[in-house]
Amino acid sequence: MGRVIDRDELGRLSAGSRVFAIGTEESAYRLTLDWAHSVIGSGVELVTAGEADPGTLCVSITLVGSTTALGEQLPAGDEPARAVRALERRLGERAGAVVALNLAAENALVPLIAAAQLGVPLIDGDGTGRVFPLVEQTTYALGGLSPAPLALAGGSGELVLLETPGDRVEELLRPVVLSFGGWGVAACYPMTAGELARVVVPGTVSLLLRAGAPGAPRSAAAPYGVRTLCRGRILAVEGSTGHGADLALPSLPSSIVVQESAGLRRLVRLEAHNEIVLALADGAPVAMAPDQICMISTEGGMVVDVDKAEPGLEVEVMVVRAAPVWHTDRGQALGGLRAFGLPL
Amino acid sequence: MILGVALVRPTPVLVAVGDGVPEWPVGRAAARSARRACVAVDLSGLPTAPVAAIRVGGPCPEVLRPRVGSGAATIVRGGHSLTGRALAPLDTEAVRRFAAGCGLADFAVTATGSPMLADHELAVAAIVSAEVPGARITLSYEFGTPGLREREESAIRNAALGAEAGRIVDEAARELPGVPVYFARTGSGVVSASYFRRYPLTCDLGGAASLARGRVALPGVPHEVAAAYGAAIGRPEARVERIVQARGRAELDRVLQDARDEALTRVVSAGALPGSARIAETTVNPLSYLPDGLYRVRVTAEGTVP
Repeated sequence: MGRVIDRDELGRLSAGSRVFAIGTEESAYRLTLDWAHSVIGSGVELVTAGEADPGTLCVSITLVGSTTALGEQLPAGDEPARAVRALERRLGERAGAVVALNLAAENALVPLIAAAQLGVPLIDGDGTGRVFPLVEQTTYALGGLSPAPLALAGGSGELVLLETPGDRVEELLRPVVLSFGGWGVAACYPMTAGELARVVVPGTVSLLLRAGAPGAPRSAAAPYGVRTLCRGRILAVEGSTGHGADLALPSLPSSIVVQESAGLRRLVRLEAHNEIVLALADGAPVAMAPDQICMISTEGGMVVDVDKAEPGLEVEVMVVRAAPVWHTDRGQALGGLRAFGLPL
Repeated sequence: MILGVALVRPTPVLVAVGDGVPEWPVGRAAARSARRACVAVDLSGLPTAPVAAIRVGGPCPEVLRPRVGSGAATIVRGGHSLTGRALAPLDTEAVRRFAAGCGLADFAVTATGSPMLADHELAVAAIVSAEVPGARITLSYEFGTPGLREREESAIRNAALGAEAGRIVDEAARELPGVPVYFARTGSGVVSASYFRRYPLTCDLGGAASLARGRVALPGVPHEVAAAYGAAIGRPEARVERIVQARGRAELDRVLQDARDEALTRVVSAGALPGSARIAETTVNPLSYLPDGLYRVRVTAEGTVP
């Protein structure tokens, strides 16, 4: 028997979900949390994939696009339910549970909102164990499952159903998201609970509930370990103009240079593409994707996103180890450096 | 001589600053001969007016609707996406009905996408002015920050403070006839009385900011003296925050120039001598997960006083 995520637990889940969350936006986070509070009612049941009937249809829920856009263009409120219902119509079957694609801030809360709206349980786990920018970069895909058919609901009543080979989802999705105004809620990776049990990164919702408890150490939010690369001050942030590189990624590359404050006073260079994918200390690679590299503000303790990095900011650079499946050859191909256009 | 004023109860504290040296107390005649007066005041706890909030955008969950306390609020169709596309034509009739029927004079207008394109906020302002003579209207795009709810909250608070800010300005003008009066901003710098009247929120924590500056410069003096002194050493400053879309370097340079021009215009209206206005800082950050060259731009301009 699972546990129930009620209002109190929601507070812990949301706090835990921000510990290493990148690409989040205060405004979008606050509105998603308020939204979740308003729909959670008596709570959402949390079950493991193994506890659900193996034949149960599970769908993965995620916010797609820009959280800045979500903070500006508010949801109508029915997007998660509308996306799931569209997928159900296509499949001719009701969803019996929802599962997160990843658990970074808003993306931990939107599946919970979907579960509350649909009256189904939330699966304890997610499809990354960390966050990747593409819908295809999941342990579900590594396990051979397709994100499609995928239903995307927008804030102005839009609904699009994508039916395509799995490796073309991102390419088709991006212009649709843009035409929606910059964000949408996707219901994707339809699969049975039996399949999900095989491919899910298990237990990560419970993990964040523990990590969000008052006084819990930051490391509690890292299922496979975390280390500090350096503490220092940002010296420079350099943006690229894109130089025409043919990369299937929704942003331009940039570099952040951090001067270590003590010890060897190394120059740590962070190469970013939406997120930091490679860290070089005095020129030598010291951390890289698929592990997650993030900057934590020394002052506020919050994650500093690449697009908010400013010279002078004091940060701690931390490396969150990815789930073991990401360190296999197939995992490296999908979520390693090459996937970010850095053939190191 | 520059007069620093800490607007505290029951009696304001006046400090005369000449050549950087503070003197207090200051007599009325001396105060009235000041070259200018700079006021440090915190606006928290001041009386606020009920606000009529107009949000331009789509329907949303109840919990995300505008929060106005004792005022009135409505959501009308319209607004733009961050990519600049119109979400819906502005429902001008709904704006007219609400403005005519709400019975309030302090309006806060927040349109979806206004940091990118403020057309609908400007159109709402025109309708409200026509319907409600003498209405005080705050447009959220003047505060710039993305995040509709936060910007709306700022606009509503600015509108709520408008009447009291006007009263403070009028009183200062009565007490110090002929003396140009400035108000300390939250953070750093000062703005002119007319700017404060229109954008009091800019000075929400002006007292605390002045105190922090004053205590560094004059350790050991009474709090109110430090706050008055801290205000007196401020220079006019104004900020502009926008989201812009630019394909390529040349277009980005052009939109940045527009933002800088606006910041320069704004710092002059905040009391800077036109010839002294200059750009202090420009920050440009690309927005993640949004292609096609969308940037968050923040420009700070500063200047000197006559």
